[in-house]
Amino acid sequence: MSESAASEAALAADEERWRRLPSWLRPRTVELKGSGNLWLIETTLLVLVGIVLATATINDVARQTGINHRLIADLKTWRHYTGHDYHNISVDQETLGSASQREVLCGNTSPGGPKARTQLCLAIWGPVVNGRRSVHGGWYLPPYAEDLPSERYGCFGAAAQGRCPR
Amino acid sequence: MSVAVQSGRGVAAVRSQRWAPALAALLALLLILAAAEIVIDGAAGLSPLIPKSPDIASWLGGIGERLGYRVFLIALLVSTGAYAGLIALARRAASPISTRWAIVLVAALQLIVFAGPILLSTDVFSYIAYARMGVEHGLNPYTHGPVAIASDPVFQYVGHDWELVATAYGPLYTLLSYPLALLGVVGALWAMKLEALLASAGTLALVWRCARVRGFDPVAAILVVGANPLYVIYGLGGAHNDMLMMLAMMAAVSLTLMRAPSARREAGAAAWVVAGALIKATVAVLLPFMIVSKRRLAPILGTVAALALGALAGYAAFGIHGIDIVAALNRDAAFVSTDSFANEIAHLLGKPGVFPVDHDLLKAGLVLILLHLLWRTWRGYDWVAASGWALLAISVTSTWLLAWYILWPLPLAVVTRDRRLLLATLAVQALFIVHQISPLLAPVQ
Repeated sequence: MSESAASEAALAADEERWRRLPSWLRPRTVELKGSGNLWLIETTLLVLVGIVLATATINDVARQTGINHRLIADLKTWRHYTGHDYHNISVDQETLGSASQREVLCGNTSPGGPKARTQLCLAIWGPVVNGRRSVHGGWYLPPYAEDLPSERYGCFGAAAQGRCPR
Repeated sequence: MSVAVQSGRGVAAVRSQRWAPALAALLALLLILAAAEIVIDGAAGLSPLIPKSPDIASWLGGIGERLGYRVFLIALLVSTGAYAGLIALARRAASPISTRWAIVLVAALQLIVFAGPILLSTDVFSYIAYARMGVEHGLNPYTHGPVAIASDPVFQYVGHDWELVATAYGPLYTLLSYPLALLGVVGALWAMKLEALLASAGTLALVWRCARVRGFDPVAAILVVGANPLYVIYGLGGAHNDMLMMLAMMAAVSLTLMRAPSARREAGAAAWVVAGALIKATVAVLLPFMIVSKRRLAPILGTVAALALGALAGYAAFGIHGIDIVAALNRDAAFVSTDSFANEIAHLLGKPGVFPVDHDLLKAGLVLILLHLLWRTWRGYDWVAASGWALLAISVTSTWLLAWYILWPLPLAVVTRDRRLLLATLAVQALFIVHQISPLLAPVQ
């Protein structure tokens, strides 16, 4: 007996077996008809979910773009303040509060690899004016040091009060 | 009057027949150029979009420039636009895209990405690290993170976030990756890339077959999957093991769509789903839909047999941790990615991010969706479509959303009659792409 013939025979036996079961238990080849509203309800819900997701996405893009604009102003401020056109500048949004829109930017004071020289950290916040924001203080870090309170020295300005151990 | 209208429509149809092939060729060319641009610029090295990697694409170096966000995002948007246009053309009654050209285009896209560097993700280095932990260092990748082999040459390429994390992949995948560790880091990297490429080719062949069996245009189906920018650039570009998982998933679907179904094939289909789950657990969500739809003993027996075999092999190779997939899933479910919709909605509601209670709400929402889909499947709704919706719901409700997760429902969406699934999947992918564009609007330098 060929495989397809055997398979058909098995299927026929299967069908026979299913007939003994109540109709609601048998496997279906087509979906049961409902009141007709199910498709409409599902589609409406899908469209609503889609609108929420699209709104959230666009809101998030606008939010990220706003953050990027602020970071661009901060980087410009650091470069203007120090007179160095460096690109390896780290930006920390946590030290002064993650939702505060206040940032700490640290970069080398002389040419070198990332964090390879004495670093100058600036606390920057306020509105963007002429593409820059205000510097409210800062501190220095030794080469290769992370911005931890124990590493800071030479604190200056209002923002740095109480942030230097020495 | 009606003759004039008909004649006008006829002229428009003839014109459209004339320009459609040219437009399709232009869109195909744009897709290829965008992929080539990303790969060639990516090969130039030193890019935030290209993970630190052994030099496998130096032969392409010197042609392009360092890949920045601007070029990448423009190429991604061009790809997306060209893909949308191509799909619209392919799904017309008189498609201007021949079978041969569709296969050539899809193959060209896959080969371009295969030839280049690893794109956008360090995951493949974690796969290699887990394999080397077992083969070269005698460590169990289910109990140690890659940091345990910090002196190994692959460690420097593992993503910083994953250095301490033990593998979350299934024991079958880990065992499959073990022989590749013997090839060295560069050899293993090429092997992983080849594995992803072959898995993709297999998935596309099965998509073709399933589409034909179900009476859909197979050319449109393989274009929707194989030319998809997220599939090509993120999925294949990162050599993700999701490609293997999708191959197992489509093997299961294909077996259930045979013209003469048999108990053996249905058991085999269930076993393929289990094999997929032993690669990456997510695909296990197909099983309840398959079982509820078939209402036969065979898929249950296939599941139990494959699971017993997999658990035995996993336990023998890795101990109890090798089969504790639930713990790994729970751990990963707690992660939050910036691209997740949950995170975006939290921001929309003025919250800084996702809180633990949000995880519970999302899980509850997912359970409700799965129950609704099971109820629909019980009433006769297509189990393949229900599985696609389930995979889409998992990715949308996950707080840890990555581009390759929203590929999961795509091969299922092109072989189901519920067109809403394909629309929803592509809409979610489009939103993901839109979410990437802020560096284009305000580039930070």
